[in-house]
Amino acid sequence: MKKRKLTSSFLSLVLFLVALLYLYPLFLVVINSFKTFSEITTNVLALPSSLEFENFLNAFRIMEYPRYFLNTLLATAVGVSGVVLVSSLAGFKLSRTKTRYSWVMFILLIAPMMIPFHSFMISLVKVAKQLHLIGSPFGLGVLYWGLGASLALFMYHGAVKSIPHELDDCALIDGASPFRAFFQIIFPLLQPVTVSVIVINTMWMWNDFLLPLLVLSGSKKSLTLQLAAYNFFGLYKVEWNYAMAGVLLTILPAVIFYLCLQRYIIKGMVSGAVKT
Amino acid sequence: MTQLNKKQLNRALVFGAFTLPALLAILISVEIPFLMSVFSSFTKWNGLDRVQTFIGLENYKELFFDDPDMWKAMLFTLTLTLASVVTTNVCALLLAVLLDSDLAGKNVLRAAFYVPNIISLIIIGYIWRFIFSAGFESFYQSTGVEFFMFSWLGDTHLVFFSVLLVSVWHSLGFYLVVYIAGLQTVPRDLIEASMIDGANRFTQFFRITLPLIMPSITVCVFHSLSNGLKAFDVILSLTNGGPGTVTTTIALDIYRTAFVINRFGYGTAKSVILFLLILVISSVQVRAFKQREVEV
Repeated sequence: MKKRKLTSSFLSLVLFLVALLYLYPLFLVVINSFKTFSEITTNVLALPSSLEFENFLNAFRIMEYPRYFLNTLLATAVGVSGVVLVSSLAGFKLSRTKTRYSWVMFILLIAPMMIPFHSFMISLVKVAKQLHLIGSPFGLGVLYWGLGASLALFMYHGAVKSIPHELDDCALIDGASPFRAFFQIIFPLLQPVTVSVIVINTMWMWNDFLLPLLVLSGSKKSLTLQLAAYNFFGLYKVEWNYAMAGVLLTILPAVIFYLCLQRYIIKGMVSGAVKT
Repeated sequence: MTQLNKKQLNRALVFGAFTLPALLAILISVEIPFLMSVFSSFTKWNGLDRVQTFIGLENYKELFFDDPDMWKAMLFTLTLTLASVVTTNVCALLLAVLLDSDLAGKNVLRAAFYVPNIISLIIIGYIWRFIFSAGFESFYQSTGVEFFMFSWLGDTHLVFFSVLLVSVWHSLGFYLVVYIAGLQTVPRDLIEASMIDGANRFTQFFRITLPLIMPSITVCVFHSLSNGLKAFDVILSLTNGGPGTVTTTIALDIYRTAFVINRFGYGTAKSVILFLLILVISSVQVRAFKQREVEV
């Protein structure tokens, strides 16, 4: 028994070292974002001799961080809330209705899970242009609705099965409208799925790069953070101190989000993956 | 009779009100663009003009017989995908098995390995560009190991391993947590029974654990396959497809064909091929893996 405990703590020590090594590149990013340019060129590995906050101020200013942060927030908020709304409604109704039409509709709605984004992105830009969804964070958010709805709908569809249909029947008999029955009785019960859907979609939309590149890069005012980082890095390819400060600023919101909601995030990502 | 019709109509209206928003969103963002892409793949179109000239199978002819760059991109994408699927899944599974035992601080470890996964791929590419250049230079200066002086992003052979390393580093945590979740579903009594029967750790793993977590393996291989075949962001920021066009993936090639050299019709033909490729590979994989899943 004692021997087993010993090997177990040895193993855990080894794994902690592996984890430290694994995250070492990120540690290097952090320490180098506080250095002066000449300090980086002499040694990347050493700790900074003084904390150079100017890197961050510069990156913050040149990237126009606040504006692009708000843009990303707007696109993500519009996208996530739309996905939750349309897919919970449809997932619920399709799960409750057992007709042939309902089944056809279900197939039509989850088919996009088999279509990779890159195979239709060229025409998506054309459609988006015609619908005037191009060049604004709001339009970007609207485009996310259809892109995120299939998986979310599939998850809601499965979860509704475990909710007894007597619940919504009762509400309807008591005179509630179908929408009211859904939002007051069913939707609160679907909360675990909703949390997963929010997590999956927030992480994806916040970090997405290609769609924003396709629909926003024409209008400088409506870029997202990832696009701003892309442009910023193009400018400061060699000035690593600025580049790393920019990198750190860009990943900061996601890291804070992760640290606060770590348990939900991991659970949500797993449930999203297993569902497909 | 009229009462019945009214009821039916009412039911249809409610059904529509619940499902049409989703249908509309999906039609706009996915299904209509997809059908348009299939149509455009038979046309010549520069993206600016309103007219798309129908040219039949010309795009596909060019693609199959007259576009070595596209085939190079295809070959690179397939090789990288295969390598990253194997490496990611083997490493993630191994790590998951270690973390599934009674280990001090296993939750902290799991969270730590997951961290790279929350960072966007475009930023991941920049971080590693920094590590491979400035970072490796300092490693070399302080250790003297030749390894760090190689041109990890400039050499046409080494760059494959750099891209592989970065992709695995980014995604490992995700597959790790899926495998850990899978391992938690393996009934303890089966493991104990095999122990009483005298099975050692390896037999236990290969004969009991592995068949039982086959569903997780199916899922993880499916995701890593399709992510590999779609690789774009990390390539753009890490190597920009270079040196030369060595690390250009299909997705990057499609992007450039359409949005850099403005051959939209031809780009859509390539994207239809990508769709078919992913469809065929994933359905073969899912079918093959599903057959090996067992029920308890």
